Amino acid sequence: MSVAFEEAAGGRRRSVAPALVGPATILVVLVLVLPMAILFRYSLNQFVPGQFMVEAVTIANYVRFFTDIYYINVLWTTVQVAIACTVISLVLAFPVAYFLARTTSRFKSILVILAVFPLMVGNVVRAAGWMVVLGNDGVVNAVLRWIGLVEEPVKLLYTPTAVIIGIIAVVLPYMILTLQSVLEGIDYSVEEAALNLGAKPSTTFFRIVLPLAMPGVVAGTVLVFILCMNAYATPVLLGGPQFKMMAPALYDQIARSTNWPFGAALAFVLMATTLTLTIVSTTVMQRRMRR
Amino acid sequence: MSEFERTTGMRLTRRGFLAGTGAAALAAGLPMPALAKGQVIVGTWGGDYQALLTANFEKPILEKKGIEVIHDISGAPPRKTKLLAERVSRRGTMDVACLSDIDMFEMSKQNLFDNVDPTKVPNAKNIFKQLAKPYAIPHIYSGKVLVYNPNKMSPTSFADFLDPKYKGRIGFADGLYMQIIESAALVNGGSMSNYEPGKATLTELKKFEPKVFPSNETLAAALKSEEVWATVMWRARGFMWKKAGIPLATIAPKEGTTPIIFDAAVPKNAQNKDNGWAYLDAMLDPGGQVLFADRMGYVPTVNNAKLPDDLAKEIGFTEAEQEKFNIPNYEYIAANNAALLEWWNKSFKA
Repeated sequence: MSVAFEEAAGGRRRSVAPALVGPATILVVLVLVLPMAILFRYSLNQFVPGQFMVEAVTIANYVRFFTDIYYINVLWTTVQVAIACTVISLVLAFPVAYFLARTTSRFKSILVILAVFPLMVGNVVRAAGWMVVLGNDGVVNAVLRWIGLVEEPVKLLYTPTAVIIGIIAVVLPYMILTLQSVLEGIDYSVEEAALNLGAKPSTTFFRIVLPLAMPGVVAGTVLVFILCMNAYATPVLLGGPQFKMMAPALYDQIARSTNWPFGAALAFVLMATTLTLTIVSTTVMQRRMRR
Repeated sequence: MSEFERTTGMRLTRRGFLAGTGAAALAAGLPMPALAKGQVIVGTWGGDYQALLTANFEKPILEKKGIEVIHDISGAPPRKTKLLAERVSRRGTMDVACLSDIDMFEMSKQNLFDNVDPTKVPNAKNIFKQLAKPYAIPHIYSGKVLVYNPNKMSPTSFADFLDPKYKGRIGFADGLYMQIIESAALVNGGSMSNYEPGKATLTELKKFEPKVFPSNETLAAALKSEEVWATVMWRARGFMWKKAGIPLATIAPKEGTTPIIFDAAVPKNAQNKDNGWAYLDAMLDPGGQVLFADRMGYVPTVNNAKLPDDLAKEIGFTEAEQEKFNIPNYEYIAANNAALLEWWNKSFKA
């Protein structure tokens, strides 16, 4: 009877389950897939100056991207910045996440809130704050001049370094939270056992903690890498007009040049690059996890 | 039926109550609240421009008509994109679009706006003829001049920027790329229909390491800190920055001044067209235009707005300067904007 009940319940679940994903699927199709399909169609159109967008079916916009060294460099800069920010934020976030996961302090919840506090401020506001810190008359230069290290202000704002600092400040909480959730699931007695058996702390970390935390590392890295690849406000405000990443270049084409077909092509190149690099890096990391 | 109705024999309905209190207010000589005429959604810049729209036109004129104003605030590029994205929709989200003359022309080429109806915009009859256009009203205008620190230099032409002693001291706002290329073209044999010679001038200028700032505000900060000493800008902005305490002077360059007009139009797919026209009419109110000039330094576009002499001298243009106005060739700009921006990004800024 029990089996029959379970079968009946299971059968009911099978019939209900597809219906449950229906609303979400419809929503995703309407607000994501459909607009993307339209945008992809735009990317095959032709831009005629003064006439906005002319119906066509051409891959000229993609050809233009891959044959123009300027845009290849913009993509390369974007990938470099995204990788740098992902790696640095992983290195910075791991100790914080480890501490948050292991601490038994009664202030733990306050510490977690402090870690996510930057997320409560918008990207633009945060970037504006960095502008105050890094500008020629900013806090850093004022301190450097006050202690006599420099006479003329050091150029910190409108540099790639400023962009990397700004983006890391944005993505660090995501990395910390993702790592913390996985590290909390690792039984501390495993580490204690390793240390008990004479393993050095570094060995314990690289042979025990890191492999067990790899799912969190993969998830955090993927999440942060995608956010970095699509960064817009921070590169615009901290990188200045000379520094170009893909999202600001895309904005330039859509909004300033009204060249929607080329802008749409840039969007798909960015999306395809992000997706490819994400899949490749995830596959590589998962293979290493299995070893 | 309520206890009140039973005892008095009166039935109090909502409509009856409103009519009664309205009549009572009339009888008492009290001002009646204006009947709400709905909303008007205005796509505009934020900051001072929006604040002055509210203070000078919306509160004194439109509020009295019972029109509620909602601002759709952003820079011009996102609003242009929104207008284009909504062009096939019957229900647009903007009732009034505020754009510069160059952007407005580009958008009008897509047939996005209704022509201005003089019966719905009575103040349009006062617009200076040379500023009038069928698809929009000119709200305010200024002209492109050289803005400089008089303690450091005294340029009379864009060509003066090409001097080694000003290395690293010339700054530009990224958004004014078109105007900068145009300025550079005019000192090198170019014209309002040919900006190509400007590329050679700017390539030469690049040797002296000019700085490009992401916004007008960051450029103003650099002028204030004397990081840069001169730029190309609207005289109105120079006036505002000077008022803010930045040591600056403005001069119409020898090669002539290009006027910049800030227009407003009603999109074809606006939901509150009548209120849109009322808004445009309010923008042409002479009193409001004078207040706008006093605060932001933009010159009125209507012949019945009289500026105080000292203000007119500060922000206006002399007859000699007006004679040398370089009138933009909108067709040329619309056809070449994308290519010029591409060159600016790839060759000048890179």
